[in-house]
Amino acid sequence: MNGRRATANGCVGIGLRSPHVSQIAAARPQLGFLEVHAENYMAESPALDRLLELRRDYPLSIHGVALSLGSAEELDRTHLGKLKRLADRVEPMLVSEHLAWSAIGGVYLNDLLPLPYTESSLDFFCQHVDEVQQELGRQLLIENPASYLRFRQSSIPEPEFISEIARRTGCGILCDVNNIYVSAWNFGFDPIAYIEALASAPIGEFHLAGHHAAEAVDILIDDHGSRVTTSVWELYAVALKHFGPLPTLIEWDANIPPLEILLDEARHAEELAHEHRPVAAI
Amino acid sequence: MSTDLSQLFELQVRLREAVLGSAAGNIVADILVDGGLEPAARLGIYRNHALATLGDALRQIYPVVCRLVDERFFAYATHQYLRARPPRSRCLVEYGSDFADFLATFPPCEGLPYLADIARLEWALESALAKREPKPLRADTLAAIPSEEAAYIALRLQPSLSYLASAWPIDAIWQANQLDEVPTVDLGCAGASLEIRSQGRTVVWRQLNSGTFAFRKSLADGRALAAALTAASLGDPAFDPATALRDVFAEGLVVGFAVSLDEDLEMTACDGQT
Repeated sequence: MNGRRATANGCVGIGLRSPHVSQIAAARPQLGFLEVHAENYMAESPALDRLLELRRDYPLSIHGVALSLGSAEELDRTHLGKLKRLADRVEPMLVSEHLAWSAIGGVYLNDLLPLPYTESSLDFFCQHVDEVQQELGRQLLIENPASYLRFRQSSIPEPEFISEIARRTGCGILCDVNNIYVSAWNFGFDPIAYIEALASAPIGEFHLAGHHAAEAVDILIDDHGSRVTTSVWELYAVALKHFGPLPTLIEWDANIPPLEILLDEARHAEELAHEHRPVAAI
Repeated sequence: MSTDLSQLFELQVRLREAVLGSAAGNIVADILVDGGLEPAARLGIYRNHALATLGDALRQIYPVVCRLVDERFFAYATHQYLRARPPRSRCLVEYGSDFADFLATFPPCEGLPYLADIARLEWALESALAKREPKPLRADTLAAIPSEEAAYIALRLQPSLSYLASAWPIDAIWQANQLDEVPTVDLGCAGASLEIRSQGRTVVWRQLNSGTFAFRKSLADGRALAAALTAASLGDPAFDPATALRDVFAEGLVVGFAVSLDEDLEMTACDGQT
Protein backbone atom coordinates (compact mmCIF):
# COMPACT_ATOMS: atom_id res chain seq x y z
CA MET A 1 0.00 0.00 0.00
CA ASN A 2 1.17 3.47 -0.61
CA GLY A 3 -0.29 6.95 -0.56
CA ARG A 4 -0.96 7.27 -4.25
CA ARG A 5 -4.44 8.34 -5.12
CA ALA A 6 -5.90 9.70 -8.30
CA THR A 7 -5.66 13.49 -8.30
CA ALA A 8 -9.37 14.08 -7.99
CA ASN A 9 -10.80 17.56 -7.89
CA GLY A 10 -11.58 17.38 -4.21
CA CYS A 11 -8.25 15.89 -3.16
CA VAL A 12 -6.69 17.24 -0.01
CA GLY A 13 -2.98 17.64 0.63
CA ILE A 14 -0.73 18.98 3.35
CA GLY A 15 2.32 21.20 3.33
CA LEU A 16 5.43 19.01 3.62
CA ARG A 17 7.49 20.28 6.54
CA SER A 18 10.89 18.91 7.56
CA PRO A 19 9.82 17.46 10.97
CA HIS A 20 7.36 15.17 9.15
CA VAL A 21 9.45 14.01 6.19
CA SER A 22 10.77 10.77 7.74
CA GLN A 23 7.36 9.80 9.11
CA ILE A 24 5.64 10.40 5.77
CA ALA A 25 8.37 8.49 3.94
CA ALA A 26 7.95 5.52 6.31
CA ALA A 27 4.16 5.44 6.75
CA ARG A 28 3.05 6.80 3.36
CA PRO A 29 -0.25 8.17 4.72
CA GLN A 30 -3.07 8.52 2.24
CA LEU A 31 -3.02 12.11 0.96
CA GLY A 32 -4.10 13.76 -2.27
CA PHE A 33 -0.82 15.61 -2.68
CA LEU A 34 2.08 17.27 -0.90
CA GLU A 35 2.87 20.96 -1.29
CA VAL A 36 6.35 22.39 -0.78
CA HIS A 37 7.85 25.84 -0.79
CA ALA A 38 9.88 26.08 -3.99
CA GLU A 39 12.74 27.98 -2.37
CA ASN A 40 13.54 25.10 0.02
CA TYR A 41 14.37 22.76 -2.86
CA MET A 42 16.23 24.94 -5.35
CA ALA A 43 19.69 23.69 -4.34
CA GLU A 44 21.03 20.18 -4.94
CA SER A 45 20.62 18.77 -1.46
CA PRO A 46 19.62 15.71 0.57
CA ALA A 47 16.24 17.44 1.09
CA LEU A 48 15.67 17.50 -2.68
CA ASP A 49 16.65 13.82 -2.90
CA ARG A 50 14.06 12.92 -0.26
CA LEU A 51 11.45 15.02 -2.06
CA LEU A 52 12.15 13.17 -5.31
CA GLU A 53 11.64 9.88 -3.45
CA LEU A 54 8.28 11.03 -2.10
CA ARG A 55 7.38 12.18 -5.60
CA ARG A 56 7.11 8.53 -6.61
CA ASP A 57 4.07 8.15 -4.36
CA TYR A 58 2.53 11.61 -4.16
CA PRO A 59 1.60 14.31 -6.64
CA LEU A 60 3.43 17.51 -5.71
CA SER A 61 2.38 21.12 -5.70
CA ILE A 62 5.14 23.73 -5.90
CA HIS A 63 4.32 26.89 -3.96
CA GLY A 64 6.75 29.75 -4.62
CA VAL A 65 7.14 32.42 -1.95
CA ALA A 66 9.95 34.61 -3.28
CA LEU A 67 9.45 35.32 -6.98
CA SER A 68 8.10 38.73 -5.99
CA LEU A 69 5.75 39.13 -8.96
CA GLY A 70 4.49 42.42 -7.54
CA SER A 71 7.86 44.21 -7.58
CA ALA A 72 7.90 47.26 -9.87
CA GLU A 73 11.15 46.14 -11.49
CA GLU A 74 12.46 43.37 -13.72
CA LEU A 75 11.78 39.83 -12.53
CA ASP A 76 14.77 38.03 -11.06
CA ARG A 77 15.53 35.75 -14.02
CA THR A 78 18.00 33.67 -12.01
CA HIS A 79 15.34 32.85 -9.46
CA LEU A 80 12.83 32.13 -12.20
CA GLY A 81 15.36 29.79 -13.80
CA LYS A 82 15.70 27.89 -10.52
CA LEU A 83 11.91 27.60 -10.28
CA LYS A 84 11.75 26.23 -13.81
CA ARG A 85 14.51 23.71 -13.11
CA LEU A 86 12.66 22.48 -10.02
CA ALA A 87 9.32 22.31 -11.84
CA ASP A 88 10.91 20.38 -14.71
CA ARG A 89 12.38 17.87 -12.27
CA VAL A 90 9.37 17.17 -10.06
CA GLU A 91 6.62 17.64 -12.68
CA PRO A 92 4.19 19.13 -10.16
CA MET A 93 0.42 19.02 -10.49
CA LEU A 94 0.31 22.74 -9.62
CA VAL A 95 2.71 25.69 -9.47
CA SER A 96 1.62 28.74 -7.52
CA GLU A 97 2.85 32.15 -6.38
CA HIS A 98 1.41 35.22 -4.65
CA LEU A 99 -0.29 38.50 -5.40
CA ALA A 100 2.42 40.28 -3.43
CA TRP A 101 6.04 41.40 -3.50
CA SER A 102 8.94 40.53 -1.24
CA ALA A 103 12.06 41.98 -2.86
CA ILE A 104 12.98 45.35 -4.29
CA GLY A 105 16.31 46.84 -5.33
CA GLY A 106 18.23 43.64 -4.57
CA VAL A 107 16.98 43.24 -0.98
CA TYR A 108 14.74 40.31 -0.04
CA LEU A 109 12.46 40.79 2.97
CA ASN A 110 11.08 37.27 3.41
CA ASP A 111 7.57 38.64 3.76
CA LEU A 112 4.63 38.92 1.39
CA LEU A 113 4.07 42.65 1.13
CA PRO A 114 0.97 44.26 -0.37
CA LEU A 115 0.93 46.39 -3.49
CA PRO A 116 -1.43 49.18 -4.49
CA TYR A 117 -4.15 47.91 -6.82
CA THR A 118 -4.09 50.33 -9.77
CA GLU A 119 -4.30 50.10 -13.57
CA SER A 120 -0.54 50.39 -13.86
CA SER A 121 0.23 47.79 -11.17
CA LEU A 122 -2.26 45.48 -12.89
CA ASP A 123 -0.42 45.95 -16.20
CA PHE A 124 3.03 45.08 -14.92
CA PHE A 125 1.79 42.27 -12.66
CA CYS A 126 0.21 40.68 -15.74
CA GLN A 127 3.46 41.13 -17.66
CA HIS A 128 5.31 39.29 -14.89
CA VAL A 129 2.76 36.46 -14.86
CA ASP A 130 3.03 36.18 -18.67
CA GLU A 131 6.83 36.01 -18.39
CA VAL A 132 6.70 33.27 -15.75
CA GLN A 133 4.12 31.17 -17.61
CA GLN A 134 6.15 31.47 -20.78
CA GLU A 135 9.33 30.39 -19.01
CA LEU A 136 7.70 27.51 -17.16
CA GLY A 137 5.64 26.47 -20.17
CA ARG A 138 2.63 25.97 -17.94
CA GLN A 139 -0.10 27.72 -16.02
CA LEU A 140 0.70 29.50 -12.76
CA LEU A 141 -1.80 29.96 -9.93
CA ILE A 142 -1.84 33.30 -8.10
CA GLU A 143 -2.81 33.37 -4.42
CA ASN A 144 -4.78 36.18 -2.80
CA PRO A 145 -2.80 37.57 0.17
CA ALA A 146 -3.67 38.08 3.82
CA SER A 147 -3.26 41.81 4.41
CA TYR A 148 -2.87 44.23 7.29
CA LEU A 149 -2.68 47.50 5.36
CA ARG A 150 -4.12 49.02 2.20
CA PHE A 151 -2.74 51.87 0.13
CA ARG A 152 -4.49 55.16 -0.54
CA GLN A 153 -3.50 54.76 -4.21
CA SER A 154 -5.56 51.57 -4.68
CA SER A 155 -8.51 51.99 -7.01
CA ILE A 156 -9.43 48.37 -7.84
CA PRO A 157 -10.95 45.94 -5.30
CA GLU A 158 -8.72 42.91 -4.71
CA PRO A 159 -11.09 40.19 -6.03
CA GLU A 160 -11.55 42.16 -9.25
CA PHE A 161 -7.82 42.76 -9.51
CA ILE A 162 -6.90 39.08 -9.18
CA SER A 163 -9.78 38.00 -11.46
CA GLU A 164 -8.58 40.44 -14.11
CA ILE A 165 -5.02 39.03 -13.87
CA ALA A 166 -6.49 35.59 -14.56
CA ARG A 167 -8.59 36.88 -17.46
CA ARG A 168 -5.66 38.65 -19.13
CA THR A 169 -2.94 36.06 -18.59
CA GLY A 170 -4.83 32.78 -18.41
CA CYS A 171 -3.33 32.06 -15.00
CA GLY A 172 -5.32 30.29 -12.32
CA ILE A 173 -6.31 31.60 -8.89
CA LEU A 174 -5.28 29.95 -5.66
CA CYS A 175 -8.16 30.88 -3.38
CA ASP A 176 -6.74 31.09 0.15
CA VAL A 177 -9.86 30.91 2.28
CA ASN A 178 -8.06 31.80 5.49
CA ASN A 179 -6.49 34.85 3.84
CA ILE A 180 -9.91 36.08 2.72
CA TYR A 181 -11.21 35.66 6.25
CA VAL A 182 -8.20 37.42 7.83
CA SER A 183 -8.24 40.36 5.39
CA ALA A 184 -12.02 40.70 5.70
CA TRP A 185 -11.70 40.93 9.47
CA ASN A 186 -8.79 43.36 9.30
CA PHE A 187 -10.52 45.73 6.85
CA GLY A 188 -14.14 45.11 7.77
CA PHE A 189 -15.44 43.72 4.48
CA ASP A 190 -17.76 40.76 3.88
CA PRO A 191 -15.73 37.62 3.08
CA ILE A 192 -18.67 35.99 1.28
CA ALA A 193 -19.02 39.02 -1.00
CA TYR A 194 -15.28 38.66 -1.77
CA ILE A 195 -15.80 35.03 -2.81
CA GLU A 196 -18.78 36.01 -4.93
CA ALA A 197 -16.71 38.70 -6.65
CA LEU A 198 -13.95 36.24 -7.68
CA ALA A 199 -14.04 34.86 -11.20
CA SER A 200 -15.09 31.23 -10.82
CA ALA A 201 -13.47 29.47 -13.77
CA PRO A 202 -9.81 30.22 -12.92
CA ILE A 203 -9.99 28.95 -9.32
CA GLY A 204 -7.61 25.98 -9.21
CA GLU A 205 -6.82 25.34 -5.56
CA PHE A 206 -7.89 26.21 -2.02
CA HIS A 207 -5.62 26.91 0.91
CA LEU A 208 -6.71 26.47 4.52
CA ALA A 209 -4.68 27.46 7.57
CA GLY A 210 -4.90 28.76 11.11
CA HIS A 211 -4.60 32.36 12.28
CA HIS A 212 -4.51 34.10 15.62
CA ALA A 213 -5.79 37.33 17.11
CA ALA A 214 -3.14 39.98 17.74
CA GLU A 215 -2.67 41.21 21.29
CA ALA A 216 -4.26 44.52 22.21
CA VAL A 217 -5.48 45.37 18.69
CA ASP A 218 -8.44 44.01 16.75
CA ILE A 219 -6.38 42.37 14.01
CA LEU A 220 -6.06 38.77 12.88
CA ILE A 221 -2.60 37.49 12.01
CA ASP A 222 -2.21 34.82 9.34
CA ASP A 223 0.50 32.74 11.01
CA HIS A 224 -0.31 29.18 9.84
CA GLY A 225 0.37 28.13 13.41
CA SER A 226 -2.82 26.43 14.59
CA ARG A 227 -5.88 24.47 13.46
CA VAL A 228 -8.25 25.96 10.90
CA THR A 229 -10.86 27.96 12.82
CA THR A 230 -14.58 27.20 12.74
CA SER A 231 -15.26 30.45 10.86
CA VAL A 232 -12.76 29.51 8.15
CA TRP A 233 -14.25 26.01 7.81
CA GLU A 234 -17.62 27.71 7.31
CA LEU A 235 -16.15 30.00 4.68
CA TYR A 236 -14.54 26.96 3.01
CA ALA A 237 -18.00 25.42 2.76
CA VAL A 238 -19.20 28.62 1.04
CA ALA A 239 -16.25 28.47 -1.36
CA LEU A 240 -16.94 24.79 -2.11
CA LYS A 241 -20.55 25.60 -2.85
CA HIS A 242 -19.50 28.46 -5.09
CA PHE A 243 -16.54 26.95 -6.94
CA GLY A 244 -17.03 23.19 -6.44
CA PRO A 245 -14.46 20.82 -4.94
CA LEU A 246 -10.84 21.58 -5.91
CA PRO A 247 -7.44 20.47 -4.62
CA THR A 248 -7.24 21.79 -1.06
CA LEU A 249 -4.17 22.30 1.08
CA ILE A 250 -3.78 22.32 4.85
CA GLU A 251 -0.93 24.78 5.51
CA TRP A 252 0.94 24.77 8.80
CA ASP A 253 4.24 26.67 9.11
CA ALA A 254 4.66 27.74 12.75
CA ASN A 255 4.33 25.66 15.96
CA ILE A 256 4.33 22.59 13.73
CA PRO A 257 2.24 19.85 15.41
CA PRO A 258 2.48 16.04 15.15
CA LEU A 259 1.65 14.79 11.66
CA GLU A 260 -1.57 13.19 12.95
CA ILE A 261 -3.07 16.65 13.59
CA LEU A 262 -2.45 17.67 9.97
CA LEU A 263 -3.90 14.41 8.73
CA ASP A 264 -6.95 15.01 10.93
CA GLU A 265 -7.41 18.50 9.43
CA ALA A 266 -7.00 17.01 5.96
CA ARG A 267 -9.69 14.40 6.70
CA HIS A 268 -12.10 17.14 7.78
CA ALA A 269 -11.45 19.11 4.58
CA GLU A 270 -11.99 15.93 2.57
CA GLU A 271 -15.35 15.31 4.24
CA LEU A 272 -16.50 18.83 3.43
CA ALA A 273 -15.26 18.56 -0.16
CA HIS A 274 -17.04 15.20 -0.47
CA GLU A 275 -20.34 16.80 0.51
CA HIS A 276 -19.94 19.25 -2.36
CA ARG A 277 -19.10 16.73 -5.06
CA PRO A 278 -21.19 17.19 -8.17
CA VAL A 279 -23.82 14.46 -8.41
CA ALA A 280 -23.10 12.16 -11.34
CA ALA A 281 -25.67 12.08 -14.10
CA ILE A 282 -27.70 8.89 -14.25
CA MET B 1 10.11 52.70 -16.77
CA SER B 2 6.84 54.64 -16.93
CA THR B 3 6.14 57.34 -14.37
CA ASP B 4 3.52 55.20 -12.63
CA LEU B 5 5.90 52.30 -12.45
CA SER B 6 8.77 54.42 -11.17
CA GLN B 7 6.47 55.88 -8.53
CA LEU B 8 5.51 52.39 -7.44
CA PHE B 9 9.16 51.32 -7.37
CA GLU B 10 9.93 54.29 -5.18
CA LEU B 11 6.98 53.46 -2.89
CA GLN B 12 8.21 49.88 -2.56
CA VAL B 13 11.71 51.08 -1.66
CA ARG B 14 10.20 53.30 1.04
CA LEU B 15 8.13 50.42 2.38
CA ARG B 16 11.23 48.21 2.38
CA GLU B 17 13.12 50.78 4.43
CA ALA B 18 10.19 51.12 6.81
CA VAL B 19 10.03 47.33 7.29
CA LEU B 20 13.75 47.24 8.02
CA GLY B 21 13.02 49.83 10.64
CA SER B 22 14.97 52.83 9.45
CA ALA B 23 12.37 55.30 8.15
CA ALA B 24 8.78 54.39 9.02
CA GLY B 25 7.53 57.97 8.63
CA ASN B 26 8.22 58.01 4.90
CA ILE B 27 5.47 55.52 4.10
CA VAL B 28 2.75 56.22 6.65
CA ALA B 29 1.02 58.87 4.50
CA ASP B 30 0.51 56.28 1.72
CA ILE B 31 -1.36 53.90 4.01
CA LEU B 32 -5.14 54.09 4.20
CA VAL B 33 -6.63 54.89 7.60
CA ASP B 34 -8.68 51.70 7.90
CA GLY B 35 -10.93 51.23 10.92
CA GLY B 36 -9.47 51.69 14.36
CA LEU B 37 -5.82 50.89 13.70
CA GLU B 38 -3.31 53.59 12.84
CA PRO B 39 -1.24 53.20 9.64
CA ALA B 40 1.97 53.03 11.67
CA ALA B 41 0.59 50.13 13.70
CA ARG B 42 -0.46 48.33 10.49
CA LEU B 43 3.05 48.78 9.14
CA GLY B 44 4.37 47.43 12.43
CA ILE B 45 2.70 44.06 11.78
CA TYR B 46 4.78 43.60 8.62
CA ARG B 47 7.93 44.81 10.33
CA ASN B 48 7.46 42.46 13.28
CA HIS B 49 6.82 39.54 10.97
CA ALA B 50 9.84 40.16 8.75
CA LEU B 51 12.20 40.73 11.68
CA ALA B 52 10.79 37.77 13.63
CA THR B 53 11.03 35.25 10.79
CA LEU B 54 14.52 36.33 9.72
CA GLY B 55 15.61 36.44 13.38
CA ASP B 56 14.21 32.92 13.95
CA ALA B 57 16.08 31.65 10.90
CA LEU B 58 19.34 32.98 12.40
CA ARG B 59 18.51 31.60 15.85
CA GLN B 60 18.11 28.13 14.37
CA ILE B 61 21.47 28.31 12.64
CA TYR B 62 23.32 29.93 15.58
CA PRO B 63 21.99 28.40 18.84
CA VAL B 64 25.38 28.46 20.61
CA VAL B 65 26.06 32.10 19.65
CA CYS B 66 22.57 32.87 20.99
CA ARG B 67 23.32 31.06 24.24
CA LEU B 68 26.67 32.78 24.68
CA VAL B 69 25.19 36.28 24.35
CA ASP B 70 21.67 35.50 25.71
CA GLU B 71 18.34 35.76 23.90
CA ARG B 72 17.80 39.48 24.27
CA PHE B 73 21.20 40.51 23.05
CA PHE B 74 20.94 37.99 20.20
CA ALA B 75 17.65 39.61 19.10
CA TYR B 76 19.34 43.03 19.20
CA ALA B 77 22.40 41.78 17.27
CA THR B 78 20.28 40.05 14.61
CA HIS B 79 18.18 43.20 14.11
CA GLN B 80 21.33 45.23 13.62
CA TYR B 81 22.65 42.57 11.24
CA LEU B 82 19.38 42.54 9.26
CA ARG B 83 19.54 46.28 8.83
CA ALA B 84 23.22 46.31 7.92
CA ARG B 85 23.15 43.22 5.70
CA PRO B 86 19.58 42.35 4.68
CA PRO B 87 19.06 39.16 2.67
CA ARG B 88 20.18 39.35 -0.96
CA SER B 89 19.25 35.79 -1.85
CA ARG B 90 15.64 34.74 -2.19
CA CYS B 91 16.46 31.33 -0.76
CA LEU B 92 16.42 31.83 2.97
CA VAL B 93 18.69 28.83 3.52
CA GLU B 94 21.52 31.00 2.17
CA TYR B 95 20.88 33.81 4.64
CA GLY B 96 23.31 34.28 7.51
CA SER B 97 26.52 33.17 5.80
CA ASP B 98 28.28 36.42 6.77
CA PHE B 99 26.84 36.73 10.28
CA ALA B 100 30.27 35.75 11.65
CA ASP B 101 31.94 38.62 9.74
CA PHE B 102 29.33 40.98 11.12
CA LEU B 103 29.87 39.80 14.71
CA ALA B 104 33.65 40.14 14.28
CA THR B 105 33.27 43.89 13.76
CA PHE B 106 30.20 44.49 15.96
CA PRO B 107 31.53 46.70 18.79
CA PRO B 108 29.29 45.31 21.59
CA CYS B 109 30.82 41.85 20.99
CA GLU B 110 34.43 42.97 21.49
CA GLY B 111 34.52 41.24 24.88
CA LEU B 112 33.87 37.84 23.25
CA PRO B 113 36.73 37.51 20.75
CA TYR B 114 35.86 33.86 19.99
CA LEU B 115 32.20 34.61 19.14
CA ALA B 116 32.73 35.11 15.41
CA ASP B 117 34.59 31.79 15.14
CA ILE B 118 31.77 30.00 16.99
CA ALA B 119 29.43 31.49 14.39
CA ARG B 120 31.73 30.20 11.60
CA LEU B 121 31.59 26.73 13.16
CA GLU B 122 27.78 26.81 13.40
CA TRP B 123 27.50 27.97 9.78
CA ALA B 124 29.78 25.10 8.70
CA LEU B 125 27.61 22.62 10.62
CA GLU B 126 24.44 23.98 9.05
CA SER B 127 25.92 24.06 5.54
CA ALA B 128 27.25 20.50 5.78
CA LEU B 129 23.76 19.15 6.50
CA ALA B 130 22.44 20.75 3.30
CA LYS B 131 25.03 19.01 1.09
CA ARG B 132 24.86 15.69 -0.64
CA GLU B 133 27.44 12.96 -0.04
CA PRO B 134 28.53 11.65 -3.45
CA LYS B 135 30.15 8.24 -3.70
CA PRO B 136 33.87 8.57 -2.92
CA LEU B 137 36.50 7.97 -5.57
CA ARG B 138 38.91 5.05 -5.21
CA ALA B 139 42.61 5.86 -5.14
CA ASP B 140 43.36 3.52 -8.06
CA THR B 141 41.28 5.73 -10.34
CA LEU B 142 44.30 8.04 -10.36
CA ALA B 143 46.52 5.28 -11.79
CA ALA B 144 45.43 6.24 -15.29
CA ILE B 145 47.06 9.66 -14.91
CA PRO B 146 50.48 9.85 -16.63
CA SER B 147 53.14 10.50 -14.01
CA GLU B 148 54.22 13.77 -15.64
CA GLU B 149 50.72 15.13 -15.08
CA ALA B 150 50.34 13.93 -11.49
CA ALA B 151 51.52 17.21 -9.99
CA TYR B 152 48.71 19.03 -11.77
CA ILE B 153 45.89 16.94 -10.37
CA ALA B 154 43.35 18.84 -8.31
CA LEU B 155 41.24 16.58 -6.12
CA ARG B 156 37.62 17.50 -5.64
CA LEU B 157 36.48 16.81 -2.07
CA GLN B 158 33.10 15.95 -0.55
CA PRO B 159 30.87 19.02 -0.94
CA SER B 160 29.94 19.00 2.74
CA LEU B 161 33.57 19.34 3.89
CA SER B 162 34.87 22.51 5.41
CA TYR B 163 38.09 23.35 7.19
CA LEU B 164 38.01 25.87 9.98
CA ALA B 165 40.95 27.11 12.04
CA SER B 166 40.62 29.32 15.09
CA ALA B 167 42.97 30.72 17.70
CA TRP B 168 40.30 29.74 20.27
CA PRO B 169 39.15 26.29 21.46
CA ILE B 170 35.86 26.71 19.60
CA ASP B 171 35.16 22.97 19.59
CA ALA B 172 35.37 22.85 23.40
CA ILE B 173 33.22 25.98 23.73
CA TRP B 174 30.61 24.52 21.39
CA GLN B 175 30.56 21.16 23.23
CA ALA B 176 30.29 22.87 26.62
CA ASN B 177 27.24 24.78 25.42
CA GLN B 178 25.38 21.60 24.53
CA LEU B 179 25.04 20.86 28.24
CA ASP B 180 22.45 22.30 30.63
CA GLU B 181 25.19 23.35 33.05
CA VAL B 182 28.00 24.89 31.02
CA PRO B 183 31.39 23.74 32.37
CA THR B 184 34.34 26.12 32.44
CA VAL B 185 36.39 26.14 29.25
CA ASP B 186 40.06 27.10 29.46
CA LEU B 187 40.34 29.82 26.81
CA GLY B 188 44.13 29.71 27.15
CA CYS B 189 44.37 26.16 25.76
CA ALA B 190 45.25 25.45 22.15
CA GLY B 191 43.12 26.72 19.27
CA ALA B 192 41.24 24.49 16.85
CA SER B 193 41.94 23.13 13.35
CA LEU B 194 38.72 21.40 12.45
CA GLU B 195 37.49 19.22 9.62
CA ILE B 196 33.67 19.30 9.39
CA ARG B 197 31.55 17.04 7.18
CA SER B 198 28.15 15.43 6.95
CA GLN B 199 27.84 11.71 7.58
CA GLY B 200 24.43 10.20 6.95
CA ARG B 201 22.00 12.72 8.37
CA THR B 202 24.32 14.15 10.98
CA VAL B 203 27.43 16.31 10.95
CA VAL B 204 30.73 15.17 12.40
CA TRP B 205 33.97 16.99 13.01
CA ARG B 206 37.47 16.20 14.14
CA GLN B 207 40.63 18.00 15.10
CA LEU B 208 43.49 17.71 12.56
CA ASN B 209 47.23 18.19 13.06
CA SER B 210 48.69 21.25 11.35
CA GLY B 211 50.18 19.50 8.29
CA THR B 212 47.04 17.47 7.55
CA PHE B 213 44.87 20.56 8.04
CA ALA B 214 47.01 22.66 5.67
CA PHE B 215 47.02 19.89 3.05
CA ARG B 216 43.27 19.24 3.11
CA LYS B 217 42.36 22.92 3.30
CA SER B 218 44.53 23.58 0.24
CA LEU B 219 42.76 20.79 -1.62
CA ALA B 220 39.37 22.13 -0.56
CA ASP B 221 40.41 25.55 -1.85
CA GLY B 222 41.02 23.94 -5.25
CA ARG B 223 44.82 23.95 -5.29
CA ALA B 224 46.69 21.33 -7.31
CA LEU B 225 48.06 18.30 -5.49
CA ALA B 226 51.72 19.30 -5.69
CA ALA B 227 50.99 22.78 -4.37
CA ALA B 228 48.88 21.39 -1.51
CA LEU B 229 51.60 18.91 -0.51
CA THR B 230 54.24 21.63 -0.61
CA ALA B 231 52.15 23.99 1.53
CA ALA B 232 51.65 21.27 4.13
CA SER B 233 55.35 20.24 4.21
CA LEU B 234 56.51 23.81 4.65
CA GLY B 235 54.32 24.32 7.71
CA ASP B 236 54.87 20.92 9.32
CA PRO B 237 58.26 19.16 9.02
CA ALA B 238 56.66 15.89 10.22
CA PHE B 239 54.12 15.89 7.36
CA ASP B 240 54.26 12.70 5.30
CA PRO B 241 52.87 13.24 1.76
CA ALA B 242 52.32 9.54 0.98
CA THR B 243 50.31 8.93 4.16
CA ALA B 244 48.36 12.15 3.69
CA LEU B 245 47.37 11.20 0.15
CA ARG B 246 46.42 7.65 1.15
CA ASP B 247 44.28 8.94 4.03
CA VAL B 248 42.13 11.32 1.98
CA PHE B 249 41.09 8.38 -0.18
CA ALA B 250 40.78 5.92 2.72
CA GLU B 251 38.49 8.33 4.55
CA GLY B 252 36.27 8.72 1.49
CA LEU B 253 36.92 12.45 1.14
CA VAL B 254 37.69 12.52 -2.59
CA VAL B 255 34.80 12.52 -5.04
CA GLY B 256 36.48 13.63 -8.25
CA PHE B 257 39.57 15.08 -9.81
CA ALA B 258 40.66 17.26 -12.66
CA VAL B 259 43.96 17.43 -14.47
CA SER B 260 45.15 20.56 -16.16
CA LEU B 261 48.41 22.04 -17.24
CA ASP B 262 46.66 25.39 -16.98
CA GLU B 263 45.55 27.11 -13.85
CA ASP B 264 41.87 26.68 -14.59
CA LEU B 265 41.92 22.88 -14.31
CA GLU B 266 39.57 22.19 -17.15
CA MET B 267 41.28 19.56 -19.22
CA THR B 268 40.07 16.25 -17.85
CA ALA B 269 37.57 15.61 -15.13
CA CYS B 270 36.39 12.49 -13.41
CA ASP B 271 33.62 12.10 -10.87
CA GLY B 272 33.21 9.51 -8.20
CA GLN B 273 29.60 9.14 -9.23
CA THR B 274 30.29 8.14 -12.81
